[in-house]
Amino acid sequence: MAKKNGVEQMKKDVKKLVSEISEIPVGELKDEALFTEELGIDSMKALEIVAAVEKKFKVIIPEEQIPTLRSLKYVYELIKKLLKL
Amino acid sequence: MQKQLDLRKILPQTYPFLFIDKISHLDAEKQIITCIKNVSGNESYFQGHFPGNPVLPGVIIVEAMAQTSILLYAALKPGNMARKPVFFLGKIEAVFKKPVVPGDVLELNASSEKIIDTGGIVRVSAKVGASIVAEATLSFGVKLI
Repeated sequence: MAKKNGVEQMKKDVKKLVSEISEIPVGELKDEALFTEELGIDSMKALEIVAAVEKKFKVIIPEEQIPTLRSLKYVYELIKKLLKL
Repeated sequence: MQKQLDLRKILPQTYPFLFIDKISHLDAEKQIITCIKNVSGNESYFQGHFPGNPVLPGVIIVEAMAQTSILLYAALKPGNMARKPVFFLGKIEAVFKKPVVPGDVLELNASSEKIIDTGGIVRVSAKVGASIVAEATLSFGVKLI
């Protein structure tokens, strides 16, 4: 139960960060929407998201993983892996 | 550990748009660099900014910060420098706290928030003596040929 809460909180926090950086309201962010093709998030904003996520969750996202973070869904999966949630 | 970097070989900018005079400290492991710009009254923009009251334009401080960021990138990604990278500024969030005038020695302290092959986010603090005169976070992209 605690683990599930941890995952849900993580998803909320990630979505909030992405919303702030992309200036897209949280309610309009779909987990499967592709950052570049559907949300208009360019590479500069993508890097800001990576940096913000690293700071928030105190993780380091390996550079080679960054191109794989194509939507919120992929970000959640990576953070879950890094935090062992 | 201090590495040697020849700033004139690394920075794509040249006179009259080179705003770093030297690298005074570099630690690639900690991902920090300190650069120095000596502010001379002979710099051309002081004639107009402002007549009788020379003040270093904030945009020049930002450019010096950007050039400091390029040097930090070069220190962290030395293998990329042979590929003639093109740097372009993407976003700046800056605060200017005190004016900088001829005679000041501007010390630019930069640390990496995140630097990857294709770009970076760098925090820079500009000081004159013990006073912080400006602070900024710069985001930039890098095109590798």
